[in-house]
Amino acid sequence: MIRNTDLFSIAKTGINASNKLLNTTSNNIANVNSEGYVRERTTFSNHMNGGVDFGFTDRVFDVFAQNQLRRDTSFVGETRAFFDRVEGLDTVLASEANSIASSMTNFFGAIQTAADDPTNTASRDAIMGTATGMMNRINQLGDFMKAKEDEVELQIQQSVERANSLVTQIGNLNEAIQVANGTSVVDTPTKLLNQRDQAILELSSIVALEVRNSPNGDDGKVVNLTTGESLVMADGSFNIFAMGGEPDFTNRQLTLMTDFNSATKNESTINVVEENLGGGLGGLFKYRERVLEPAQRDLGKLAIGLADAVNTQNRQGMDLDQQLGGDIFNIDGFSAINYPQNSDLSLQMRGIITPGSSGDVTNNDYKVTVMSAPTGTPAVFDVEVASMKSDGTPQLDASGNAIVQTLTVTAGNGNLNPTIGGISLEFNSGGQYAVGDRFLIQPTRIAAANLSMATTRGEDWAFAKPLRVDSGDNNLGDAKLISTTISNTATGTSVFDGNGGIHTAANSPSATFGAPVTIRFTASDEFEVLDNASPANVITTVSGVSDFSNLIEQAKTSGSPAWPADFAALSDYPGYDFSLQGEAKPGDVFSISYNTDGINDNRNAVEFAQLQQSDIVRQGNGSNQNKTTLNEAYSSLVGFVGSATANASVNLEAAQVMQVQSSEWFESSAGVSLDEEAANLIQFQQSYAAAAQILSSARDMFDTILSVTR
Amino acid sequence: MRVTTNLIFDQNLRAINNSQGELSDLQSQLASGKRLLRPSDDPVGAAQVIRLTEELDKITQYERNIDLATGSLELQETSLRSITDVMNRARVLTVQAGNGIFSQPDREAVAVELEQIRNQVVDLMNTQNASGDYIFSGYQSQKQAFVYNPANNNDPIKFQGDDGTNRMQISDSVSIQTSSSGKSIFENVNGRLNFELSGSNGATLGGYGIRYQGSFDSFHQNNYDPINPVNNQYEFTISGANQVSVTNVGSGTIVDTLPYAADQNMTFNGFEFSLNGAVGDSVTLELKQPEKVNIAETIHNMALALKNPSMSSQEFLSAIDDTLVGLDNGLDQMARENSSIGARLNIAQSVKSSLLDTEVTTQQARSAIQDVDYAEASTDFARQETALEAAFASFPRIANLSLFNFI
Repeated sequence: MIRNTDLFSIAKTGINASNKLLNTTSNNIANVNSEGYVRERTTFSNHMNGGVDFGFTDRVFDVFAQNQLRRDTSFVGETRAFFDRVEGLDTVLASEANSIASSMTNFFGAIQTAADDPTNTASRDAIMGTATGMMNRINQLGDFMKAKEDEVELQIQQSVERANSLVTQIGNLNEAIQVANGTSVVDTPTKLLNQRDQAILELSSIVALEVRNSPNGDDGKVVNLTTGESLVMADGSFNIFAMGGEPDFTNRQLTLMTDFNSATKNESTINVVEENLGGGLGGLFKYRERVLEPAQRDLGKLAIGLADAVNTQNRQGMDLDQQLGGDIFNIDGFSAINYPQNSDLSLQMRGIITPGSSGDVTNNDYKVTVMSAPTGTPAVFDVEVASMKSDGTPQLDASGNAIVQTLTVTAGNGNLNPTIGGISLEFNSGGQYAVGDRFLIQPTRIAAANLSMATTRGEDWAFAKPLRVDSGDNNLGDAKLISTTISNTATGTSVFDGNGGIHTAANSPSATFGAPVTIRFTASDEFEVLDNASPANVITTVSGVSDFSNLIEQAKTSGSPAWPADFAALSDYPGYDFSLQGEAKPGDVFSISYNTDGINDNRNAVEFAQLQQSDIVRQGNGSNQNKTTLNEAYSSLVGFVGSATANASVNLEAAQVMQVQSSEWFESSAGVSLDEEAANLIQFQQSYAAAAQILSSARDMFDTILSVTR
Repeated sequence: MRVTTNLIFDQNLRAINNSQGELSDLQSQLASGKRLLRPSDDPVGAAQVIRLTEELDKITQYERNIDLATGSLELQETSLRSITDVMNRARVLTVQAGNGIFSQPDREAVAVELEQIRNQVVDLMNTQNASGDYIFSGYQSQKQAFVYNPANNNDPIKFQGDDGTNRMQISDSVSIQTSSSGKSIFENVNGRLNFELSGSNGATLGGYGIRYQGSFDSFHQNNYDPINPVNNQYEFTISGANQVSVTNVGSGTIVDTLPYAADQNMTFNGFEFSLNGAVGDSVTLELKQPEKVNIAETIHNMALALKNPSMSSQEFLSAIDDTLVGLDNGLDQMARENSSIGARLNIAQSVKSSLLDTEVTTQQARSAIQDVDYAEASTDFARQETALEAAFASFPRIANLSLFNFI
């Protein structure tokens, strides 16, 4: 041991050291409530020449605990963002007042009540009320989801802005810390380090991070996404998130972009998988892709199924004004979105739900690609319609092949081209399409929000069937009508003239025959079908009849002479059929006439009511054609959101437990304990007093020496 | 583990927060009586509850439908029963009128009463329901079902409606007919089947008439041909001194041979007649086209016959026969309709009782899923309350422990 120093210098270093220790302790006590503060310790070693050396103050924490805390914070951020969003949907669906199911039950109940007395206008108005109520419920839920969608987009935008500012901040702090380290060799810039750790922790709640020390050993931090893309580099440069949406700009997507800000260097971008981002952003994207968009489309599918089924049924009936029924609900069409690479971004394309085809509607989106150049007038060309899920991936069928249809379409306003999924496409831009042009259509996305009533008159409910079948006055047999079905009421392709009657023989699609309106039995197992010309012509004769159901269908398939070609050319002519039960005698006649004045008829109302238990809404998107009732479709939507919420709630709880654990772990190493600091305070006060005592001893000794020499 | 100051506060706060959250959930459950507050509490259960609620609402609606259907069926039943009653009176009067000792004024007195009955029947056939619809008009319920117009000899009681009948759904799978058309009940009544003279070739027909209506009816029903009228013609030829042969004109086959004596009655399938002529002479009779006669029209016709003093006794007897057969067929029809209505009412009742059973079961099922178990929930509540109180009590004591208090 070399001792070439004196008591005075030893005492001085001791006092200084104790002073510094007291400073550090006081600083810890003062910062006990500072956010992100990590407790500090000053450590000393003895000096070579005696006394105590310069102290070194540093932060005390467990770096493993810190990393664990960041991971758990990301996980909590992700599950919380997901849960908070999905919980809103869950709460809305829980409310009885918002339940589409109960409003549908009310609606069908009102129809059943009205079916008892079809001429009662009060009960017709009651139906109108319940139908409007039901539509309002659907609209509200659709609007709510639409608002949620906008909210998510906004939140994504805000999160991205916050993430970008944090990324910039971390980059700047990296630089500042390097500078600070360069100027002071003794103390670490703890404030900057705390700030940087705090920024990294906050960033990790937005996206999941991987943080490493800089390879240059300069105390910088390298921050990467857990998927590998780097955000902050060792030299302080960084990448930021950029938003876009292709082709649907309302549907935000993320890319990483360099931030060179250089005239000579081009910026470059990298795509990221949004759902794998983790953190709050990942949670938002997961919620959007996995819950909101499917739920929104399922609701749209339900709305379309309900409205189209009601419209279809109403069109098959006769209303209180004795006209053929019309539409009750308006189902909005949908405009296609151009892909940004299209030859001309002003190209237009529209789509509607093919009336009566709601059973084919899925919750998919569709991509329409132009496959051949338009030729002729009106322009004719091939397109490919590809079914895809709401997140843009192709929809596969049972054997794993993408569901795609290639068809030849005719362009022009009003030319509807029916395709897969119960939709019809209208190419409004004539011959301007180019090969490779692509369009996105989303038939079910906002269908629920845009559903509206086509009529508000109770009289427009078509409770009667437009035809009645009367038995001849002198029928001898006991054959009785058991059912009449109406399948087509369109003017021109059915027997109906659209003006409260059956078309005359002169207006028939066939030159030789009028509308088939009479069935006459010529033997108990043989009947003729007669038209409405005067005198009546025999259209066809069916022999060997054993079953009296669907007589018109029997005439079409097995009549002799064959069913007239002009009738057979129409897909569904005459558009009605009926069945008898019992035994017919030769000479028995059944005549079909327009149901003039037949307003007490409730046959169509009874069929309306049966829609409640009919399978209307398609379940799967692939090759599975199974359908389900309206109520089941709604309850499975509720079940879907409910189980997503239940899962999210369990995940959130688990994540929170883990975060509590890791934050306690981190806190137990990095947190300030006031008791500990109190003890230190006393200890360092004593060491200060002791060091001062050395000074006093040294003076005494010096005085002693002086007095000796005096 | 090193315990820091913030840790103590954080832990206590968290414990209190958790307890309060649990308490608030339990409180909502207790207040609403529902265990399922949000679909996420039990997603499968929530979907089931929606289905069960629809089931229950449907049952309520079906019960209501049954009440409505029962109401309209009972109205029809009442009308039909009243019609049956007055028709029975008409039948008694008709039998009385045929006793042969009634003088013309007596007959006219009967006719007056029959006319009253006819008016009553027409009135009942035009029964209206509470909303003013004619219940027997078919679909055209705004039109009066039957119109009485004595000036129209062919069809004095005219039906203006149609064949339409309505049905009503009374359960998911059962629907019952709730209305009947007057056409099938009152119009579709068979008149008396008969022969009519269509030609004579030398022979003269003496008295003739249906003696045994039953056997004639079955002969008529088996042989009447609505398509080829010639098949309905029978030529009765005096083919020998004491023999009449009966030939079907259409087929040319001899269907029967009868013993003949001039002006002596003989019977062919319930048809009794006598002939007079030389060998080779013949008469041709034709099976009369079956007629449907409205029950009120039957009574109307009888009243006309009673008021007509110039009618021969044979014509009068024939009129009585027509009336009795018409009334009997009408009563049959009414009885059939009545029993059909009764059957439908029975179906409605049995469906209703099974609906009530289902309702109870469904309610229990729904309650098991969504309703709170009060005993369990209140116990949980008490337990959670204790925990929260303990946290409140212990927190300040831990927080007050500080070394600074002692230096």
